Amino acid sequence: MNATLLRPAYDPFSLAASAVSVGSLARRERTLYPPSQHTSTMDAAVVAENVTKQYGDTVAVDDVSLSVPAGTVFGLIGPNGAGKTSLVRCLTGTTDSTGEVSLLGSEPTHVERARIGLLPQSFSPPERLTVRELLGYYANLYDEARDVDSVLSEVGLDDAADTWYEELSGGQQRRACVGITLVNDPDVLFLDEPTTGIDPTGRRDLWTLIEDLTAEGTTVFLTSHSMDEVERLADQVAMLADGRVIAEGTPGALVAEHGGDSRLVVRTEASADRLADTEFRVEASAGRLTFHGVDATRIDDAVDALTTAGIEYESFTWTEPTLEDVYLELTGRAFRGGPASGSAGEQASAPQPDAEPAEVER
Amino acid sequence: MSRLGRIASESRAGAKAFLRRRTAVFFTFFFPVIIVLIFGVLVGTQPTGGGLFAEPPGYYLPGYLAVVVLFTPLSRVGSEFARHREGSRFEKLATTPLRRWEWLFAHTLVNVLVIGAASLLIFGLVVALVDVQIAVGAHLLLLVPFVALGVALFCGLGAILGRLADSQDGVIAASNSVALPLLFLSETFVTPDLLPAWFRPITNLSPLTYFARGVRYLTYEQVSIPVGGATDPTTLALFQLGVLAVLSVVFFVVGAYAVPRTD
Repeated sequence: MNATLLRPAYDPFSLAASAVSVGSLARRERTLYPPSQHTSTMDAAVVAENVTKQYGDTVAVDDVSLSVPAGTVFGLIGPNGAGKTSLVRCLTGTTDSTGEVSLLGSEPTHVERARIGLLPQSFSPPERLTVRELLGYYANLYDEARDVDSVLSEVGLDDAADTWYEELSGGQQRRACVGITLVNDPDVLFLDEPTTGIDPTGRRDLWTLIEDLTAEGTTVFLTSHSMDEVERLADQVAMLADGRVIAEGTPGALVAEHGGDSRLVVRTEASADRLADTEFRVEASAGRLTFHGVDATRIDDAVDALTTAGIEYESFTWTEPTLEDVYLELTGRAFRGGPASGSAGEQASAPQPDAEPAEVER
Repeated sequence: MSRLGRIASESRAGAKAFLRRRTAVFFTFFFPVIIVLIFGVLVGTQPTGGGLFAEPPGYYLPGYLAVVVLFTPLSRVGSEFARHREGSRFEKLATTPLRRWEWLFAHTLVNVLVIGAASLLIFGLVVALVDVQIAVGAHLLLLVPFVALGVALFCGLGAILGRLADSQDGVIAASNSVALPLLFLSETFVTPDLLPAWFRPITNLSPLTYFARGVRYLTYEQVSIPVGGATDPTTLALFQLGVLAVLSVVFFVVGAYAVPRTD
């Protein structure tokens, strides 16, 4: 009984595929910091201490403290309305807040503006300028700026350079906006949901761009409601719910601590009794057996156990815990990231233990 | 990039963005033209004493110019302000070296050019189509600072309205509510003697009054000279220009302060 593992091509928009954190396997080597251990202010590009932001009676950011080491990617994740954008505004000084914020060692409103870049969440530049004109317009606001053509190339808009912004596709528009934030070659880059509306290829290009930027020393503060994006890019992650940071650490540490175990779900009518003598913890439910604690290296062992026990099966799936599982565990509610329209890059995804991401057929 | 460079960059972007909105450009120039055609040509004036449009045609030139100097900056800066806010552009600009007053100054420059062109068009139309007598001379060059300062003043007011209104619709409604009373109660089309005596001092509170009086001193040969003080129309115009300049600085500063640094 031979089975072939049919791992699907990695598609960040696929709910099923999101359960397999292949993205994390592709992470590059970086200095990682242990969870909940803030680096000193000397090493940090951004430090927030007890930051609170209220709009009337609504508390958008509630006593948030965090530290972003220089040269790393800090991912801030949470569903819509969690307070991500408000926190970015607090950190960049584009809103008033209480608490202490240090950006590159200064108050946000006093920091040298050429050293920071901001892509607001709902940013929409003048729509009847070409992409080249837009980049030139923002570049000319700085004493020193990068060559516009090189930025165009980096965001993959060479061919659309002379197209009006309003005539670009949604994904191209967002890439143009990212380009605008890069013209001053900032030391700290705040990207508020940068990949919203971008197609899968564009997203991956942008991820590569962010990785290249951090490799050159840029600090990136990234907000997203796309768990796979943050898992792939971020060195440190903070989860935000109702304005509060509910967890912080490396993606791996958060998943290990709160995400539960990896599972192999087998479609079969067989009983779990026949596997009682194996080393696996197996639970039976309607039409399936679930092997708990099966990491990727032990899938073959589990399949061998099925074979040894003479169990016929239709297929099996393997799932690994993700940040979505962490969010569910910590908040008791499913993660609802994107808008109902489900535009590209925005998944309204919930942890689905029974999802079938990497299906194995007999 | 120097301060001048930042202002130039913002002005270029603003001008291009405006000039590429063809309907906006068309109606910016069509609006004053239609006003001149309706009131200057179709309605005409009846200098027989009493009622509206009872003065000689030349009396109303400041009114026609006031239409563009008042309405266009209010609506253009106000709606640009709303567009910036709705598109998080101010949030973005707050993290660039561009200062708030530089932003307003850049957009004021664009408006001065646009409204300067519209004013020239009105001036030409009035001279060509309406039977006006204008004293030609070097003093007419003072019309340039009158228009420029008037535009700056109402750009500042447009920014204030943009700050107070929460949407483009709100800006348009607020602009109309402010502009229409100002237009008719600032010695433009309605002569002071048509107003109740108790109300006449109130017209001195309108900045547009100083624009209208000054332009009238410069262009209208039959202008009435106040008793006492200077009798030279150009000197009288310069006094109005001085008042307008002070008011322009005040409105511009308040308008620049109204440009949001934060959300």
